[in-house]
Amino acid sequence: MRIVTRRDFLKGASSLGVAALGGRAIDAIGQQSVLRVGVVHQFPIGEVGWETQHALGWKAMEAAFPGKVKTTVVTDVVQAQDAERVFRDLASQGHKLIFGTTFSQMAPMLKVARAMPGTTFECCAAITTSKNMGAFEARNYEASYLGGVIAGRMTKSNVLGWVGAFPVPQVVWRLNGFLIGARSVNPNVTCNVIWINTWNDPAKEKDAVNALISQGADVLAGSPNTPVQGIAAEERGAWSVGNCSDFSKYVTKRQLTGDILDWNSAYVEAARDVMAGTWKSQSRWRGLGEGGYCRMAPYNAAIPGDVVADVAKREKDIVAGKLKVFAGPLKDRDGKQRVAAGAVLPDNDVRSISWVVDGVKGAFPKS
Amino acid sequence: MTDAIVPVLIATLGAGTPLIFAALGELVTEKSGVLNLGVEGMMLVGAIVAFITTSATASLWLGVAAGCLAGAAMALLFAFATLTMQANQVAAGLALAIFGTGVSAFIGKNYVGVALQSPPASDASFASAIPVVGPLLHALHPLVYLSWLLFAGVSAFLYRSRLGLVLRAVGESPDSAHAIGHPVIRVRYLATLFGGAMAGVAGAYLSLVYAPLWLEGMTAGRGWIALALVVFATWRPARAVFGAYLFGGITISQFFAQGAGIPFASQAMSALPYLATIIVLVLISRNPVMIRQNAPVSLGKPFHATV
Repeated sequence: MRIVTRRDFLKGASSLGVAALGGRAIDAIGQQSVLRVGVVHQFPIGEVGWETQHALGWKAMEAAFPGKVKTTVVTDVVQAQDAERVFRDLASQGHKLIFGTTFSQMAPMLKVARAMPGTTFECCAAITTSKNMGAFEARNYEASYLGGVIAGRMTKSNVLGWVGAFPVPQVVWRLNGFLIGARSVNPNVTCNVIWINTWNDPAKEKDAVNALISQGADVLAGSPNTPVQGIAAEERGAWSVGNCSDFSKYVTKRQLTGDILDWNSAYVEAARDVMAGTWKSQSRWRGLGEGGYCRMAPYNAAIPGDVVADVAKREKDIVAGKLKVFAGPLKDRDGKQRVAAGAVLPDNDVRSISWVVDGVKGAFPKS
Repeated sequence: MTDAIVPVLIATLGAGTPLIFAALGELVTEKSGVLNLGVEGMMLVGAIVAFITTSATASLWLGVAAGCLAGAAMALLFAFATLTMQANQVAAGLALAIFGTGVSAFIGKNYVGVALQSPPASDASFASAIPVVGPLLHALHPLVYLSWLLFAGVSAFLYRSRLGLVLRAVGESPDSAHAIGHPVIRVRYLATLFGGAMAGVAGAYLSLVYAPLWLEGMTAGRGWIALALVVFATWRPARAVFGAYLFGGITISQFFAQGAGIPFASQAMSALPYLATIIVLVLISRNPVMIRQNAPVSLGKPFHATV
């Protein structure tokens, strides 16, 4: 594995292009059976957060096929137009499997995939696929539902707090899952929501958490990639449910649990199928369970045993398909029935969800 | 009622503090006739250097000092380019902002998302005995008090001291100041370094106290807000502080409003602090005579000693 920043990469790809070409030729002859994999990160890989979970994924892939895959990782490809160039370069350098790690890389990847039919592409959070480009996404509302069940049982004020980055479907379905879970055990629960309209302004996250706590929320959750919300909640003596990575190292006392993204099987299976020649373009959308894309962070010791047992049972039911998070009857915040009793919201409607369930308080932007 | 207002007040004071440091620093710089647009970059470098220092030494104040020095070092680059080499200040300032963003991301690569294990606690327990204001004061970080001291210091310096008069003279008419023997370039160097140092402290406050953690570009435009505050406050410290708290206050209030379920588009709410702050400051500062009296006449113009 080699981590290069965008600058290193472009330098290597352009000015040293000839030398690199020579090296590649030898590479190809010498190691016929090695699958070269490219991974493009939008931001640097930190200790926790979105990029980190993807890094765990490709590291698991390297560990699963020792000596058989060689990964080139490019970080800090912030802009979509840069991503296109990086994808193209990776493909032309002989990487046969290329991963995109974020929604905004979907459009450039589709373009490059069309031009490079011999290369397999996989894009996380993409909503479109093509002949040689697959997609993978986490049904993490299943995990946030379980977090909600715990939150609903642990809250004393019956007010939960949610700090959202942007009201995009990925965040909205987690919010809905969280509240559906909480209200399934405690119908009196409401959830105050603050949208901060930014992915990376930790100061604003903290302000929003403090505002929610001052308004009575005693369990905080949301869409942070950082432990900031949990830390801020802990300072004020409130519980938090983490997201993305396990933050218990930072939020040592008052993190109840968290829904963790786990892309290991996405990376491992894609590499396996490409090597075996059985890769097919598909949109993989998985939740909890073996080989799934999300799982729960360790439960806080303060959670009563019967709650943990209840959550474990629900988790089993979800994995077995017996429990559906978006099962009717579901009303939205304005009282309009969205899912009839006995029905389940179809996957396509979940993926484009733009309404919030009954019990959510706070502004919700129309889309 | 006080129960509802106190948290808003505390949060407002916290949110305004980085803007006060950055804006007052820039105000002094601009009063000397130097326009340094690189505040955002200096803040970011201050933030990451402070963060690295504190995570290595577990000392808040060493971190703040390091951030302060790092901001000043960035300003020194700018000062050398514009004051010694006579480069265009606008271009150099923009370059500094971009450079600071990049270099902070580079040195902070291994610190992304790393939280300080135990956020440095504030120590203002003496205040909590006072009723009503007590809990308010207790909740504030020492750096908030420091920002008030800075305000008092900058106001006294600019308008009550001889050195401040020299600095303003340099900003008004460097040629006259030079003619009566004042070291124009040296004054401008010092003012620029001061601005950088304060931007560094503002960054340190964000990464050590406010967040506390490092993220690429975590200042999220606060450096540009500080710049705008200086202009819209017509280069007057009290108005810059007022603007900073107004901006912070509206940011915080819109969170409380959202949390309370007031049905108003959150995107519009997020834009509100920018709009309201600018409108209010423009309205209270729209007297053209006042603007002419307070704006440093030679702002952004290079000085070259002819004699």
